[in-house]
Amino acid sequence: MNNQTSNVSPLVLKVLFRPREAFEDLARAEPSPYRVFFRYLIWFALLPPLFAYIGGSRYGWDLGAANPLILAETELRVVSALYYVVLLTAFVSTAFASQWMSETYGARKSLGVHMAMVTILAVPVTVGSAVHLYPHVFVNLLVFIPVLIWVIYLLYVGLPVALNINQERGMLMASSLVGWLLVGFVTLLGVTVVLWTNGLGPSIGA
Amino acid sequence: MTRTPQITTNVYYHDGVVRFLVICAMVWAVLGMGAGVYVAAELIWPEIDFGQFWLSFGRLRALHTNAVIFGFGVSALMATAFYSVQRTCHVPLPTLRLAWVTAMLWQVCILTGGLSLLAGMNTGKEYAELEWPFDIAIAIVWISFGVVFFATIARRRIKPIYISNWFYGGLIIVIAMLHVVNSLAMPATLFKSYPVYAGAQDAIVQWWYGHNAVGFLLTGGFLGMLYYFLPKQADRPIWSYKLSVVAFWSFTYAYIWAGPHHLHYNSIPDWVQNLGMVMSLILLAPSWATMINGIMTVSGAWEKLRTDPALKFIVLSLAFYGLATFEGPMMAIKSVNAVSHFTDWTIGHVHSGALGWNALIVFGTFYYLVPKLVDAKLYSVHLANVHFWLALAGTMLYVLSMWGAGVSQGLLWLSLDEIGEPSFSFKDIMASMPPYYLLRLVGGLTFYLGTLLMIFNLVMTMKGRATVRIRPPEVTVSGEAQ
Repeated sequence: MNNQTSNVSPLVLKVLFRPREAFEDLARAEPSPYRVFFRYLIWFALLPPLFAYIGGSRYGWDLGAANPLILAETELRVVSALYYVVLLTAFVSTAFASQWMSETYGARKSLGVHMAMVTILAVPVTVGSAVHLYPHVFVNLLVFIPVLIWVIYLLYVGLPVALNINQERGMLMASSLVGWLLVGFVTLLGVTVVLWTNGLGPSIGA
Repeated sequence: MTRTPQITTNVYYHDGVVRFLVICAMVWAVLGMGAGVYVAAELIWPEIDFGQFWLSFGRLRALHTNAVIFGFGVSALMATAFYSVQRTCHVPLPTLRLAWVTAMLWQVCILTGGLSLLAGMNTGKEYAELEWPFDIAIAIVWISFGVVFFATIARRRIKPIYISNWFYGGLIIVIAMLHVVNSLAMPATLFKSYPVYAGAQDAIVQWWYGHNAVGFLLTGGFLGMLYYFLPKQADRPIWSYKLSVVAFWSFTYAYIWAGPHHLHYNSIPDWVQNLGMVMSLILLAPSWATMINGIMTVSGAWEKLRTDPALKFIVLSLAFYGLATFEGPMMAIKSVNAVSHFTDWTIGHVHSGALGWNALIVFGTFYYLVPKLVDAKLYSVHLANVHFWLALAGTMLYVLSMWGAGVSQGLLWLSLDEIGEPSFSFKDIMASMPPYYLLRLVGGLTFYLGTLLMIFNLVMTMKGRATVRIRPPEVTVSGEAQ
C-alpha cells in the first residue's frame, strides 16, 4: 500500500474499478503487516457483520419456507460478533497460508505483502456483503456466487503480479489457495453445524 | 526383471482398444451428463416427464448415475489402465482379443442395463440398481478386465510394479469383491430378485459396497490415472514415491471400514456407526498425502503450463479432490451428519468430487492422451482454455447452490415446535427449493457445455487420423531386449 492508496476509499475504488493497478501498486510496495491489519483489514471485516446485524434485526433471516427468523437482540449480537472473529481469522490465516506457500512457488515472502493481497481480495466480499441488509438466504447466495467468482478471478490475475512470479507459477499457487479457501469454508460450515446440533445457536420455529 | 517376453517383429503397444474406450467414454459423457441435466430440470418442472414412466425422475436418475459412473468413468479407467499398464511394464497387452471383448461387452452391459433401468427394472440398491442377469454379466466382464490387466503385469519387463498399477489393481480386485458380495440375490423372475441379506444386514452390505465403490473406483481408480498421467504431463517423477506407496496401503486399509457412515442414526448398532465415523476421519490422512504429492509434483513443472492446456485441469482437479476428501470425513461426523443427511448438501458433496475431481482429471488426461494416440496437436488450445473456465464455473455454481439448499433444508427439517413436532412440512420446505435448483441447473448446463466443447475438440483432433503404432522401449526388430 503506497501513498497513493493510503486512504481507505481510494483503495476500495481502485480494487473495484482498476484491480490490476491495485496489484501493480502492491508489487512495488513493502507494507508492514501491522499497518495493513489495523488500518484496513479490521475495518473491512467489520462491514459484513454490521450489515448482517442491521438486516437481521430489522427483517430477520428468511430461509425460504418459514417465516423470517428473528433472533433475540443478545443472540444476534453474539452471532454478529462471532461472524467478525471468523472473518478476521479467515483473512489472517489465509495471509499466513499464502506466505507459507510462497516458499514452494518462489514468491515474495514478507507477511505484509500477503496480508495486503488478502485485503485487496477482501474488498469485493465486504462490498458484496451489503446484501446482508436483505437477509434472504437465496438472494444472498445469488449475490455471493458472482462475488466469489470475481474474487477467484482476481486471485488468479493478481497473485503473480503482486508476488512477482510468472503466470504459470502464479496459476499453481492461486489454485492451491483456492483449495485452501474451499476447505476453510467447508470447515466453517462443519464447525457451525456441530455447535448448532449441540445446542449452541439459534433455535428455529419454536 | 530377467524375464523376456516373446518378441516378434511386430511388437507394438495396443492402443486401438484405448482409442475405442476413449470414444465410448465421450459418448457416455454426452448421454449420462445430459440425463443429469434433464433430471435437474425435472426437479424444477416435474411436468417435463410428459407422463412417460421412462422419463420420470426415478428412472432417469438411476440412468444418470450408472451412465456417468460405469459408462463414462469406467470406460475412461479401462482406457487409461490399458494405456498405462503397457507403458509401465514395457510390454503390449498379451491378450489383445480379450481386451477388445472386455471393452465391447462392457459397453453392451451398460447400454442394455441402462435400458432396463428405463423400463423400471431396479433392485432398489443405490449404485447397484441393475438386476441379476446384468450383475452376472458385469462380474464376468470385470474378471476379464482383471485377466487382461494382471496378465500384462505378470509379463512386465520392469521389476517394480509402478504405483499407478497398484491403484488400478486395487480397483479391479476390490470392485470385483464388492460387486459379487453385494449382488448376491435370489432370482424370482428373469428381471426380479431379492437380496440374500435381510434388513439392517442388507443395508450394511449395501453401504459397504456403495462407499467402497466411491473409494476404490471414483477415488482409487482415478488416483491410478493421476499417478501415471500427472508425472507424464509434468515430465518429472512423483515428488515422493515412498509417500505414494504409504498412502496406497493406508488408503486401502482405512477405506474399507468407512461405509457405515451412510447409516448414521439408523437401525444399525451404534458402535458400527462410530467405527464408520472414526475410520472416515482417519481416511483424511492418506487422501491428503496423495493430494500433497500431486501438488508438489506439479509445482516444480510450472513451465509446462505454458504449452500444455491439459495440466491446468489436473491442477484444479487436485484442489477439488482436496475439498471432497476433506468434506467427506467431516460429513461422516455424527453431529454434522445429523444436519447434512437427507439434504442437498450430500448431492453437492458428491458433485464436488464427481465434477471437480473425477471429470476434471479425465478431461485433463484426455487432452493429453488423444493427441498422443494420433500423433497430432490438439485441434484448439483456445477451446480447451474456454472449457477450463466453464468447468470451474459450472462446478462452483453447482456446489454453492447445493450448500445453500442443503444447509437451509437441514435447519428447517430439524426445527421443532413447542410440542416437539416438526415445525415445517417436507412439502413446504421442498416448495421453497426451486430457486436453488435453477441455479444448480445453470451450473450443470455450464459444465455440460464445456464437456461438449471438449468432445468437439477431441473429435476434430482424431478425425481422419489413424492410431499411431508405438514400440515398447528397448525392443529391437530382431526381437532382442537391449
